[in-house]
Amino acid sequence: MPPRDASRQKSAAVIALLIANSLALASLLIMLSSGLALIYGLRDVINFGHGAIYMLGAYIGYTIALVGGFWLALFLVPILLALLGIVFEYLALRPLQRRTHIEVALVTLGLGIILGQIIIFFYGGEARSVDAPKILSGSITVLNLSYPVYRLFLIVMGLGSCALLALWLRCTPSGLYVRAVSQDPSVARMMGINADRLSLLVTSLSTAFAGIAGVLAGPYLSIDPGMDITMIVNCLIIVVIGGTGSIGGAIVAALLFGLVQVAGSVFLPNLASLVPYILLMIVLLIAPGGIGRGRVLS
Amino acid sequence: MTGDLQRTATGAPGGQLSRISLVLSGGAIALVAGALVPTYLAGDFVLRLGSEGLLLGMLALSVAFMMNQAGLVALGAASIYGGAGYLFAIGMSDGGLTPAVALCVGFLVIVAYAAVLGALIVRTNPLAFMMLTLAAGEMISHAVLLEGLRDYTGGADGLVVRMNGSILGIDVAEFADPARFWSLAWIVTVLVGLAFWSLGRSRLGAILRAVRENEERMRFSGFNTFVPRLVAYVLVNAVAAIAGFLHVLNAGFVSPESLGLSVSTNALVAALMGGIAGSLGPILGGLIFSFAQDEFGARGLTQLLTGVAIVLFIVVFPRGVVGGVSSALRRFGSRREMS
Amino acid sequence: MLKIEKLSVSYGSLRALTGVDLEVGGDGVFHGVIGPNGAGKSTLLDAICGRRRPTSGIVRYRDEDITRRSVTWRRRHGMARSFQRTSIFQDLTIREQLELVAQHLGDDRLDDVVEVMDLGAYLNQRAGRIAYGVQRRVDVALALIGRPRLLLMDEPGAGLSAAETLRLFQHVRDLVRERGIAAIVVEHDVDAVFACCSTVTVLDLGRHLATGTPEAIRADHRVIAAYLGTAA
Repeated sequence: MPPRDASRQKSAAVIALLIANSLALASLLIMLSSGLALIYGLRDVINFGHGAIYMLGAYIGYTIALVGGFWLALFLVPILLALLGIVFEYLALRPLQRRTHIEVALVTLGLGIILGQIIIFFYGGEARSVDAPKILSGSITVLNLSYPVYRLFLIVMGLGSCALLALWLRCTPSGLYVRAVSQDPSVARMMGINADRLSLLVTSLSTAFAGIAGVLAGPYLSIDPGMDITMIVNCLIIVVIGGTGSIGGAIVAALLFGLVQVAGSVFLPNLASLVPYILLMIVLLIAPGGIGRGRVLS
Repeated sequence: MTGDLQRTATGAPGGQLSRISLVLSGGAIALVAGALVPTYLAGDFVLRLGSEGLLLGMLALSVAFMMNQAGLVALGAASIYGGAGYLFAIGMSDGGLTPAVALCVGFLVIVAYAAVLGALIVRTNPLAFMMLTLAAGEMISHAVLLEGLRDYTGGADGLVVRMNGSILGIDVAEFADPARFWSLAWIVTVLVGLAFWSLGRSRLGAILRAVRENEERMRFSGFNTFVPRLVAYVLVNAVAAIAGFLHVLNAGFVSPESLGLSVSTNALVAALMGGIAGSLGPILGGLIFSFAQDEFGARGLTQLLTGVAIVLFIVVFPRGVVGGVSSALRRFGSRREMS
Repeated sequence: MLKIEKLSVSYGSLRALTGVDLEVGGDGVFHGVIGPNGAGKSTLLDAICGRRRPTSGIVRYRDEDITRRSVTWRRRHGMARSFQRTSIFQDLTIREQLELVAQHLGDDRLDDVVEVMDLGAYLNQRAGRIAYGVQRRVDVALALIGRPRLLLMDEPGAGLSAAETLRLFQHVRDLVRERGIAAIVVEHDVDAVFACCSTVTVLDLGRHLATGTPEAIRADHRVIAAYLGTAA
């Protein structure tokens, strides 16, 4: 093959790999940050314990997978975590409805710390790894490129949850209400919508998806005691970049984050861990309100 | 209504002056007594715990001031506290600076950093601010652990500071002595506490609280609402830096733990426990936390209790220890008046 | 004093104001702005005081184009505004909040404002504890500090009885005459406007409908149609 074609094919391969890896990472991030953004949009509450819930999903998923396999974990964990979400809603969010948003945020921070410590108490401090299920392990070859099947699976899951989210937000009355309240919190309770029940739904969906993300993360990233902090910081950065409360913005920001993170680890390996923060600072400089039509500025 | 008018009548100039002089003389006595008495009464170990408690109290003061006056929760205090230590250590080791110069340079770097970061984030709503300070704190943690900077920062092992030279005539080695360090920490903490107290009663404090309550009306009344908050942010970070410098002078080394999120949450808990209104609360909270942490040994339990404490002191005891005591006293006092 | 040229304000696809022209002179002018619901009255005020950036058009204040100026700048240069939804400082006493602003704007004649707005009895009370009607007066008082040249008031009568609103309007009319300043008032209570204002503008569905003396406006059939049309 002539040299120019060879190098062009090579750079195309690099770009394709970059995009695929970004999408895989972004899929996890979308599942997590959209949950965070939804609760913020609806209730003006940031759940600082979201990372701990993700971590719980990962560790419980690990245990279930040891006993009953990956697919069982993927099925059970969201159910268990949805139940946790319901408990969280009734025991924490509802009673504190009259408190300031900062106070509620601090309480979720405290609860997240407690949850994280409980997990470490049971599981210890070393990292775990989870094997991908047989069907999803290995790589497939597409157009002369070899790519891990599991990551393709991640991308599919990410797209799927995006599609479900979009469908819900655009086509159902509850979704419409959530969008309206996210954009303008002064929107009063619309007729026919039970705001409490909707809040319960959003919270339990948010925790369930955090659980799914946790299970999915097992074979892809490692499961370690610091994952709650790492993930909550990632999600917070995404939610701020996307414009807190804007769900569409959060998705775009998650994609951007994934791309920047992956590109950073390829092109700037020495600075890889700092790249998301640089992105955050740049976005704050250019667009202090975030990308989406959210409510970051006072 | 008459009760209101009568109570504010004592706010007349004469009353103000005697109140200020009471506080100042009380402060002076506390300053001297506190610096000296414990060194005769307590052993080295207790003094060390106490000093740690004071430094934590200083951090708690900075968190509390920002929360109480500006309504903003800064979760990145550790990055400044540990960062100050790192800057000092790097300045001494790699920069070959004298201790006094290393302190000054480190201080200026931190003030500049706080000004730039503050300019970016202080305009956001309180929730976003909280998120961003958390992120900024983690950013510094990651920066310190970068492979490329390992030669400067020592990576996960931290840095031992080559302590030689003197600051203002005091030999640097003296700072490691528990008794002497306690005295220094006490004096600095009380002064910082007094400074925050007077700042709170100053015009800046009034403006901050008004902006906190109704930012829009302040703008519509001709105020620049950005600058006061930025100034407050830089000030509280300067205090955190001072605490960090004291820490490194005493400990002689820095590690990534001193920058970690747990230090920031410890400061938050100390502030909440003591009570964020006023200066006495956070200092007390720092001391309580330090001694409690020693009691509860294993780090895991401390962290768990930190989480519990945050929830407890927000939900059940929002005024903290000092706030609770003072409101109990006030209720007792007014009940006596009525009877 | 104030001249608005072809002002348009849109919220996304919703056009709140379209091509509005308005001119308000100086000394002693008390100008009312009325119109049925959704006419864009509050938006007009928001655009004048800088709370909303107009989509197009120019705002001229004392012959200077201030369309891009900040809210803070406008206040410091004599354009003050009161709010439809009372926006004061609930935790501060009346005295504290008035003094805070007075000190900032260099106004040492706070007693005038207190007297005009009849707040003398409430000075040492927390704003959160006083009656709503008094709170509204505090809202206006905050705008009066610093001797503004142009006073913008957004439905000052909101939540007040007809008698209270009329009294407020009379206060403002007297104030405007005494100090030789101008005031633009957006208001729903048409009676108070007709009773006290020197000139009146009517907006309908974001457009300028008519401007004139209260008598002329009262008789204008287009205005009557606009109001009746929305009631039908």
